[in-house]
Amino acid sequence: MSSDAGSIPAASKIVINDREKLYKLRRGIPKLALAFSLVFLFLNVFSAPQSQPVLRISAQDYDNYSRVTIQSSQPLSSSIEQNDTFVFVKIRANTPFRIQRESFRSRFIKSVGWSQGSGSYTLTIKTEHENFSLDSFKVQNPPRLIIDIHPNKGQDPPIAETNRSGTNPQTADPECIVIDPGHGGLEAGAKGKFGTLEKDLTLAIGMKLAEIVRQTRASNVVLTRDRDVDVSLEDRSAIANNNKATVFISVHVNGSYRKGAAGPETYFLSKDATDEESRRLAFMENNSKELENNIQAEDEDLIKMILWDMAQTAYLKQSSQLAEDIQSELNLLWGTRNRGIKQAPFKVLTGVACPAVLIEVAFLSNPQEERKLLTEEYQRKIAEAIYEGLAKFLRENSH
Amino acid sequence: MDKKKLVILAALLLFLVVLVIIYLNLGGTAKPKPTQFISASQSESESEEQIESLTIILFFPSEHDSLLHREAREIIPESSLALQAKRVISELLNGSQRGFLSPIPPETRLRELYITKEGVAYVDFSREIMDKHLSGSSAEMSAIYSIVNSLSYNIKPIKKVFILIDGGEKKTLGGHIDLTSPFQPIYDIVAK
Ligand SMILES: [Zn+2]
Repeated sequence: MSSDAGSIPAASKIVINDREKLYKLRRGIPKLALAFSLVFLFLNVFSAPQSQPVLRISAQDYDNYSRVTIQSSQPLSSSIEQNDTFVFVKIRANTPFRIQRESFRSRFIKSVGWSQGSGSYTLTIKTEHENFSLDSFKVQNPPRLIIDIHPNKGQDPPIAETNRSGTNPQTADPECIVIDPGHGGLEAGAKGKFGTLEKDLTLAIGMKLAEIVRQTRASNVVLTRDRDVDVSLEDRSAIANNNKATVFISVHVNGSYRKGAAGPETYFLSKDATDEESRRLAFMENNSKELENNIQAEDEDLIKMILWDMAQTAYLKQSSQLAEDIQSELNLLWGTRNRGIKQAPFKVLTGVACPAVLIEVAFLSNPQEERKLLTEEYQRKIAEAIYEGLAKFLRENSH
Repeated sequence: MDKKKLVILAALLLFLVVLVIIYLNLGGTAKPKPTQFISASQSESESEEQIESLTIILFFPSEHDSLLHREAREIIPESSLALQAKRVISELLNGSQRGFLSPIPPETRLRELYITKEGVAYVDFSREIMDKHLSGSSAEMSAIYSIVNSLSYNIKPIKKVFILIDGGEKKTLGGHIDLTSPFQPIYDIVAK
């Protein structure tokens, strides 16, 4: 391959074969070779079992609950019933599903079975104890139904202590709030009409927020930067993970081509397939040695994807709640109403293993908001509003 | 037994030959340099007489709200998906004709575009898309999703869009949205 191949992004290993084919196409390699690759392509296309929708069932333990994830390639319509030690999940299906069930070990779930009825499938989750509460929610792209089984107090089997995953922040570790003032150093971020730089505002607000948290709570506070320096997006999330962050808050100021754009927005990571794909690729990249020798092991691939998928969705609900708590405080401050919380694939949030949000406190591209943002008073008010939202979230999530 | 294998082999060979013939006939569509195939370019000019213009829909941000807005445009259909997709992008780079905002710096050029069989479009822009880009999450999102939505909406086989800059992968346009993984279109940010 020529030097062009060097530009293939590292994360696109999976498609490399096709891209090689494309490059060959361009270079006019003998037609017979082309025909062969075309045959290969055709065979690949036709052999892919794309028509039949798949239902993937997996289960995993967290510190004080177990989670069953049902992932489908099409929207799920379902009902859930709880009876004794059983949870019955009825999933309507117009066409037959291909069921893929992952083996699992769980403290709270004994088994997961399924049966096919007319126009529906019934999943039977058998729990260890009848004294549990259920929590279920749906996530899109790909459609997933997530069922959390919380054993009620006094039901934790003793192995719980030794089998702790260690990723859940609500355990013995002291509360640690990681505050990430966006941009810095050469990377200035958005610029205002009066010359205000996003990196300066994020630092000012981030430092004020850190100060409030320190004064109000007995928790560790870590800033990803406390000066005007460059910090890579990966390092920011690494700082959160290394400090076993309870919560990660990235502070930014927005910029838009629309002069009229105004108001705060709070984001959490969108969990669409885009993300999953990237995380899956990143994950496989890290484990590529084994996988490269094992390329046809589609199942392996699938298992990794599911594991990764679970790691992601673990904080989805909490991040969304944190975003909501902070956004409503900011709405109060700015007198805004309609701007809700949003999901977007922010790079800095992708690697964070705890509830994480990114706050766009206002628009720097809006001269009126820029003027307000420049005042110490408003910076403080914003920091206080963020703190109020954070405190509410921590109250709701203290066990 | 052996006879059976022979029959299968013959069938496969026949299939191959048929594919070779099909490929040679359609050569012009897969080749970026159609001049190498005189017969192919002839057949193209013959069919040109019947070509009708095609309506594509581009997605642009507007001054009035935070949504993307549709703008229809007539183009002459291209001979391959990749060329068609390139056309969509160059129309997008030309900006709106109806007064919507241009989310991509006007100096930006499309360097290359290809589509894999999995339906991932790799769109390679010149570095102005990053260097001259207005910084800010909203600005980044409107640029990215005007590209992703316009491509996916008009070129149906495109399921995901991977944005490359200067021939390689970049982390973000300006410190916010993750470019290291492909995007799927989001249509709920489009005005009704
Ligand atoms: Zn920013």
